[in-house]
Amino acid sequence: MADDPFFVGWQDNVPKLSRRKVLAAGAGLALGAGALGLGLGLKPPAPGPGVWDQGRKLAMTGTIYPEPYLHLLTEDLGGGPRPVFLVGQGKDRVTVRPALTFTGAAVTGTMIARGEHAMMAVDDVYADPAPGRVMPGPETDLGEVLMTGEILDAKCWFGAMRPGHGKTHKACASLCAQGGLPLAFCETGRCGEGKAALLFLDARGRAFGPEIIPLVADPVLIRGRIFEVSGLRQVRVALQDVVRL
Amino acid sequence: MAASFTLVGWNRFKRSYDVALIAGIVLFFAAHVGAGILGTPAGQAPSELQVVIRASGAAAFSLLTFILCIGPLARLTPRALPLLYNRRHLGVACFLIALVHGALVVLWYHGFSQVNAFISLLVSNPRYDSFGGFPFESLGLGALLILFVMAATSHDFWNAVLGPRLWKALHMGVYAAYGLLVAHVMLGAAQGETGLVQAALAGGSALIVAGLHVAAGQREAARDGAAADPGEGWLDAGLAAEIADGRAVIIVPPEGERIAVFRDGAKVYAVANACRHQGGPLGEGRILDGCIVCPWHGFQYRPEDGCSPPPYTEKIQTYRTRITEGRVFVEAAPQPPGTAIAPSVIGEAG
Repeated sequence: MADDPFFVGWQDNVPKLSRRKVLAAGAGLALGAGALGLGLGLKPPAPGPGVWDQGRKLAMTGTIYPEPYLHLLTEDLGGGPRPVFLVGQGKDRVTVRPALTFTGAAVTGTMIARGEHAMMAVDDVYADPAPGRVMPGPETDLGEVLMTGEILDAKCWFGAMRPGHGKTHKACASLCAQGGLPLAFCETGRCGEGKAALLFLDARGRAFGPEIIPLVADPVLIRGRIFEVSGLRQVRVALQDVVRL
Repeated sequence: MAASFTLVGWNRFKRSYDVALIAGIVLFFAAHVGAGILGTPAGQAPSELQVVIRASGAAAFSLLTFILCIGPLARLTPRALPLLYNRRHLGVACFLIALVHGALVVLWYHGFSQVNAFISLLVSNPRYDSFGGFPFESLGLGALLILFVMAATSHDFWNAVLGPRLWKALHMGVYAAYGLLVAHVMLGAAQGETGLVQAALAGGSALIVAGLHVAAGQREAARDGAAADPGEGWLDAGLAAEIADGRAVIIVPPEGERIAVFRDGAKVYAVANACRHQGGPLGEGRILDGCIVCPWHGFQYRPEDGCSPPPYTEKIQTYRTRITEGRVFVEAAPQPPGTAIAPSVIGEAG
């Protein structure tokens, strides 16, 4: 009979030599798994500086405009009138009674902010004549542009998701676009750590409809014009000038 | 073995195995999540849930890679055999981690919307006609379904119900699952990285798995190439004195399955080399307490008739043997499983 150790897993008494080896191998493999996890976990995709502080409720006043995306034009952020986009808590738009638009209003909710961009996940909207009507700033045409990048859903990119861009986020971005949330455009290489994006609108400065959804979150080449309105830059693009790369 | 079934027949080794498994998974998650959250610049930490999604995906992929390496490693070195025993525990753990990954993805990326999350999973990215834009989620879902079927049928109860051949064929689906997962990573997470690290790791893992299988296959092919020449229906198994006591040599007939020729003291027996349980190489096992023991999962057979000892019911084919001038010869034609055959005795024949 061979007397060297032979491993039989169901035996209660694994040979001593085997047991020592098995324990050492088990400990080594467990530690190896930890080291592998550490290596794979380092340097995750950069999410950028977006923040959604869901624990801090805020109230802001200003004037609500429904176009191109529902937003509150407010002076509460300082530096003149600035748009704060208004969205629902999930991946859908929020609806506001028409009587509350183009007039003084107060909005409560939580802020989603990235750089100079601001958005509010709305809890409540009510009339507030105190601020009067906040008027948009002048529209400035900054000329034609040809860029590569990605069409984003602004809510996720502003900070609802970190990161909120790229192919792994495409399904989410499609749902947000389908839900009527604002779309933005980031240039290639600036989607991760960048602080600024362009509001993405059709050639006439209106929100795109469902025709844009298949192109969301894909690498694209666009040709359009850049405008600045109330401190926010927009890129206006005809659908045929959006080319998937 | 398959006389009756309990959920898990615990013993000290199995507990140690599972402790190491759980410790490995916990350490992997802790290190991955910690690195993901603490390793980013201040104010730019990723969402905790997205870190866990990433960690669970990496853990499931790494564990499946490891699982697929065990089989060929066990063919190349007996040191890997303890890993093979209870490999199904790794498989079930892999499925559960993949399930966590999938559930969090459905919740996070496809939830919080008017659209049903499971419908969104399949239709949110409709670019099924594109390679680069292919909806990688569906590949992951396919792999998860395969892993579920395998985890659900991993118990020996299903091996007995389905039969070893069907069960084995079903569980070969793990290779399809792994292929889907490699594509899932390549067309998903790897495209979201600015560098090539993810792609290199996924591709490198697949190459390691493939390389080990090729190496093990070459070793087996070389063994098959050395098939014993039949002489009047008998195969030469070599000198009886060169077979170590309690062990076997494996010979390859021109047709049919390999044959394990065991020596137990002065007695020589020949049986089919493939274990009835999962096709383990009996000829690489030992005779312990009068029974041939499979090196993979410890299934036992009596060498004289190929039957598992009562109350077990497995049977393998047996072969007639004779010893001429110190050489063992085995009849190429097998006897029906469970047929008792008197052993040849070293020193009696000549």
